[in-house]
Amino acid sequence: MPGFTLPSASLLAQSILSGIFVGALYGLMGLGLSLSWGLLRLINLAHFAFAFLAAYVSYQLAVAGIDPLLSLVVVVPAFFAIGAGLHWVMARFAVTPFNSLLLTFGLMGVIEAGIQGVWTADFRKLESVYSHMKFKVGVLYVPIPELITLVLAVGFSFGVWAVLRYTDLGKALRAAAEDAPIAAAFGIDQKRNALLLAGTCTALAGIAGVCLALSFTLAPAQIYAWVGVVFAAVMLGGLGRALAPLIAGTLIGVSEAVTMAVTAPSWAPIVSFTLLIFVLLLRPGRAA
Amino acid sequence: MRRTPLVIVGAGILLAFVPRLGLPAFYDSLLYLVLHWVVLATSWNILSGYAGYFSFGHGAFFGAGLYTTTTLLARYEWPFLWTLPVAALVAAVLGVALGAVVFRVKSVRGELFALLTLAVTFVIGTIVVNTPLDGGQGVSLSSVPVPTVGRSQSATFYLLALAAATLTLLIAWAIFVSKLGAGLFAIHDDEDAAEVMGVPTYRYKLIALAISCALAGMAGGIHALFLSYVTVGEVFTITVPLTVVLMSVLGGTRHWAGPAVGAVAITALMYSFTAADHAVAGKAAIGLILIAAILFMPDGILLRVQRLFRGRAPVGGPHPSSLPQAGERAGAREPGEDHPLPLAGEGRGEGVRSPTIVAGNVILRARGLHKSFKGVRALAGVDVEVRQGEILGLLGPNGSGKSTFINVVSGHYRATSGEIVFEGRSLVDEPAHRIAAAGIARTYQIPRPFAHLSVLENVALATMFGGAAADPRQAEREAMTWLEFTGLEGKALARPADLNLHQRKFLELARALASRPRLVLLDEVLCGLTPSEIDDAVALIRRIRDQGSTIVFVEHVMRAVMALTDRVVVFNHGELLAEGGATEVMQRPEVVTAYLGKAHA
Amino acid sequence: MLEVRDLQVAYGAAPALWGVSLDVHAGEMLCVVGPNGAGKSTLIHAIAGILRAGGGRIVFEGHDITRLPPHRFCEAGIAIVPEGRRLFTGMTVLENLELGSYLPAAKARRKQSIEAVLALFPVLQEKLASPAGELSGGQQQMVAIGRALMARPRLLLLDEPSLGLSPRIVHDVFAAIRRINAEGVSVLLVEQNVVMAMEVSTRAYVLEEGRIVADGEPAALLARPEIQRAYLGV
Repeated sequence: MPGFTLPSASLLAQSILSGIFVGALYGLMGLGLSLSWGLLRLINLAHFAFAFLAAYVSYQLAVAGIDPLLSLVVVVPAFFAIGAGLHWVMARFAVTPFNSLLLTFGLMGVIEAGIQGVWTADFRKLESVYSHMKFKVGVLYVPIPELITLVLAVGFSFGVWAVLRYTDLGKALRAAAEDAPIAAAFGIDQKRNALLLAGTCTALAGIAGVCLALSFTLAPAQIYAWVGVVFAAVMLGGLGRALAPLIAGTLIGVSEAVTMAVTAPSWAPIVSFTLLIFVLLLRPGRAA
Repeated sequence: MRRTPLVIVGAGILLAFVPRLGLPAFYDSLLYLVLHWVVLATSWNILSGYAGYFSFGHGAFFGAGLYTTTTLLARYEWPFLWTLPVAALVAAVLGVALGAVVFRVKSVRGELFALLTLAVTFVIGTIVVNTPLDGGQGVSLSSVPVPTVGRSQSATFYLLALAAATLTLLIAWAIFVSKLGAGLFAIHDDEDAAEVMGVPTYRYKLIALAISCALAGMAGGIHALFLSYVTVGEVFTITVPLTVVLMSVLGGTRHWAGPAVGAVAITALMYSFTAADHAVAGKAAIGLILIAAILFMPDGILLRVQRLFRGRAPVGGPHPSSLPQAGERAGAREPGEDHPLPLAGEGRGEGVRSPTIVAGNVILRARGLHKSFKGVRALAGVDVEVRQGEILGLLGPNGSGKSTFINVVSGHYRATSGEIVFEGRSLVDEPAHRIAAAGIARTYQIPRPFAHLSVLENVALATMFGGAAADPRQAEREAMTWLEFTGLEGKALARPADLNLHQRKFLELARALASRPRLVLLDEVLCGLTPSEIDDAVALIRRIRDQGSTIVFVEHVMRAVMALTDRVVVFNHGELLAEGGATEVMQRPEVVTAYLGKAHA
Repeated sequence: MLEVRDLQVAYGAAPALWGVSLDVHAGEMLCVVGPNGAGKSTLIHAIAGILRAGGGRIVFEGHDITRLPPHRFCEAGIAIVPEGRRLFTGMTVLENLELGSYLPAAKARRKQSIEAVLALFPVLQEKLASPAGELSGGQQQMVAIGRALMARPRLLLLDEPSLGLSPRIVHDVFAAIRRINAEGVSVLLVEQNVVMAMEVSTRAYVLEEGRIVADGEPAALLARPEIQRAYLGV
C-alpha cells in the first residue's frame, strides 16, 4: 500500500500551484490536438514531436543568445507552414482518421530520430534570463517561466475560443465539421479553411514547445511521456473545443500534484489515465 | 491448405538446428528477438488485425506475463518453465476482464479503443511500479537458473522463442481458416451487419482477445528471464504496442503470416542499423517506412506480393485455391432451373426450431409495435400479420415507418414497446444474431457487403452463421449454390467493389437466402435498377417464394408491387393506414390522399 | 434563368438521373413532383452543387456551372433548403443565419437580411440564441429557409419542405414561400405532397425513375393518368 502523508498547508498550496502551471501546459499542448481531432477528424500524434522540435529550436536559439520569447517569431510561421503541409498531404491521399494515427506515429518517430541526430540524447536545458526568476506571493513561490506558460496558455485558449465563437471563419469551421456538404452549399471552402486550421494547430504545438523548453529539461525520449496525459486532457474536455483542454488539463495537473504530495510522485500517472478510461467508458459520445 | 500447419511445424523443426551451426551468441540473440517479435506481432494481430479492434495495450498483457514470471521466479522460486502457462493465464484473465467491460460499450471502437487500451497499459504499469511487484527499482533475475534446453543460454532462449513462435503461427493460421476467423473478418468490415447475420460478435471478440493476451503473456514470461533484469520502463510503455502495430501493418493485417513478415523485416532492419552504429537513422527509417506504407500500401506488403503472384483480384481473408463444386452438376445452367435447391428451413443447425407450418398460417405477428427516436415517433403502434408463403408489400410515403418496421423486426433496432412473435416464439427483445438464427433474414436498401471479402466469402459467411453449414468448406459449397441461384457464380472470387449495383443487390439477396430463412425482409431492393434489371429481380423474388420462403418487402417501384404482391399494407405517419390486395388498396381515397397530399383548407 | 440539359447523376453507385432536362424561367415558381425514389433529391442536390453531375449541363444565368467546385455554386446565386432541414444543430439560430450569408456579397447586407428573415418569420425573434437543434420541426424549417435567404439567392431550391411537418405548419411555410417568390426570387420546389405543390406553382414537371415523364400546367397534370400511375401504380 502506498504511504499516505498529509503535507503542510503551504506545501499543499505550492503543490496545487505547480499543478496549475503544469496543467496549463497540458492544456496548451492539447489545444491543437483537440481542434485537429474534433474539427478535422485527424489525430496527429506528431503534434508532440512538433512541440519538442520547437522546444529544441528555441533551445538552440537561446544558446545563440536569442530570447526564447523572441524565438516565437520564427517558430510560429515555420510550424504553421509545416502543419498546413502535412494536412495537404493527408488530404491528398485521403488518409482515414484511424490511419492518420498510424501515419503521424511514423512521423513522430522520424522527428524524434532527427532531433536525436542533431542534438544527441543528452539532456539539454534552456538557459534564459527567465530561468531563475521568481517572485513570492505570500508563502508561495511563483516561477517566471511557468507563469509565462500560464499566460500564453490562457491567452491562446481564449483567443482560439473567441475566433471559433465570434468570427465567421470560426463558425465556418464548426459548421463544416458538422455537415461539410451543406456548408459547401453556402460557399464555405472547407479545403482552404482546413489548411488554415491545420497550420494553426501545429503553430500552437510550436508555442507549447517553447513553453516546454522554458521550464523542462529536454531529451528526445521525453516526447512519449506527454502523449498519454495530454490525450487524457483532450478527451476529458471533449473534442474540438478551445477552453476545454485548458480546464481539463488544469484539473489533471492539480490532481496529479496533490496525489504526488500525498503519496509518491510515481503514482501521478494513474490519475490522468484512470480518468481517461472512465471518460471513454462513460461518455464516449463526447468524442468524435 | 492443410499443408500449411505441416509447413509451419516443419520449418520450426528445421530452425531448431540453427544453434548447432555454432554461430556467435550475437546471432542467437538476434534470432531470439526476431522470433520474440513474431510472437508479439502475430498474437496482436489475432484480435486487432482480424477483427479491426486496434489495441494499443499489447504492452500491458505482455508486461503482465513478464511480471508474473518475474514474481514467481524471484519470490516463490518456481521452476522457470512452469511459470509460462501461469503467465499466459494471468494475461488472458486480464484481457478478458477488460474486454468483458469494454466490448459492451458500443461506441468504443476504432481510435477510442486504441486510446483506452493505451491508458490501461499506463495504469497497470503505474500500479506495478508502486507496489512490491516491482517497487521502482526493477527486479533482478540474475540468480535464477536458466533451464538447459539448448547448448548455451542464448541457444535455450532461441529454442524457447522458436517453440512459442511455431505455436503462435499455428494458432493464428488455425483461427484464420476457421469459422471464428471468418466471423472476426466480418466484424472488421461491418460489425453491425455481422451481428445481424448471426455472428456472436461479443463472444468472438472476447475469445480472440483472450488468445491474443495469453500468447503475449507467454512471450513476456520468456522475455523476463532473457532480460534477467526487468523494469517497468522497458515494458509498460508505448513502444511495444507501436512496434507490433508497425510490424503488422507493414506485413499485412489481414493474413495470418503478415505480422511475421513485418516482424522479420523490421527487426532485421533495426539491427542492421544498430550494428552499423546508426541506431538513430534506423528509427527514422522505420518511421518513414510506416508513413510510406500508410500512404501507398495500406493493405500491407504481403497482400501486395500475393497480388503480384496471383494476378487476380486480391481477397483479404481465407479463400479457396479452387472453386468448390456445388453438388453433382455438369456445366452452367440457367439460375433456378433443374436445381435441387435446399428448401427453406431444411438442414438447419442446432438451436433452431423448425416446427411444421401449415400453408397460409400466420408466421409473423407484430402487435402494438412502437419505436421512438429521441422524441420522434417512427412507429406509433402497428399491428401486422404475415402469412406463410405470401409476398407482402409494405408501402407508404417517405418517413411513414416502413423501413423502421423492417429494422425493428430484424433486430437492427430495439422496439420501444409492443410484441413480435415469429413461429410462436417472441423475438421482440432478442439481439439481432438470435433473430437471424431464428429464421429471419433481411437485405439493406444500400447494399452492405463485407468489402474485403470476396463474393463467395460474403455468402459463405451468411451460410455459416445462419446455421446452414458448420465449417468454412461446407459453407463455401452451399454458397456456390446460392450464387448460381442468383446468377452470380461467375463473380465468386470478385470483390463487391467490382460488381455493379444490380449485381450487388443480387449479392445481398444471395446472402439473405444463404441462411435458409423462412422469412425474408427486403428493403427497397429494386431502387436504382433499370427496367430490365427490375424484371430480372422480380423473377428472382418469385423463385425465392416458390422454393418456400415468405417474403415481406418495402418498395416504391409500383409496377413491381402490382406484379408481385399477394397483399399490401400501407403505412402513414408510423401507423397502419390500409391493408388488402394491391390494386384495390391503392385506389382507396385515404391512400390516394396519403400519397398525393391534400389541398390545405 | 436555369437550364438543365441531359443531366446524368449517380447517387453513390446507383445511377439516379438518366438525362433530365428542365427550365426555370426568371421569377417563376416551379415544382418537380414524383414518387419516392424518382430522383427528386438527387436533382436538387446536383443543381445546388452538392452532387457532381456525371453528364449533361447546368447553365445558370448564362454561365455553365456544371463543373464548378461545390462551394462556388452559392456564389452564382443559388441557395438550397435541404430535405430534413440539415441545420447546423450545434450552433445557435443566429449563427445558422449568419452562415447563410458567409460569402462577401451577402455578408455586406447581413443586417438587412436578418431583419427581412425575422419579418417573414417573427417567431424566430426570441429563438435567436437557442441552439438550432432544440427547435421544433416547423421552426427548424423556418430557420432553414431563412438561412438560404441570407445568401440573397436569385434561385431558391427547396427539397420536400413539408416533410415531417403538421398541416398547420405546412400552410405557414408555403405561405412564406409564396411571399418570397412574389419578391422576385425564382423558386424550384421538389415535393411529395403533389396537390399542395401544384397549388402554389406556375409550372410543374413529373419525375419518375430518374426521367421526366410529363410537364405543364399543374391543374392539367393532376388530372392526367401519369401521376396516378406513377404514385399509385394504378
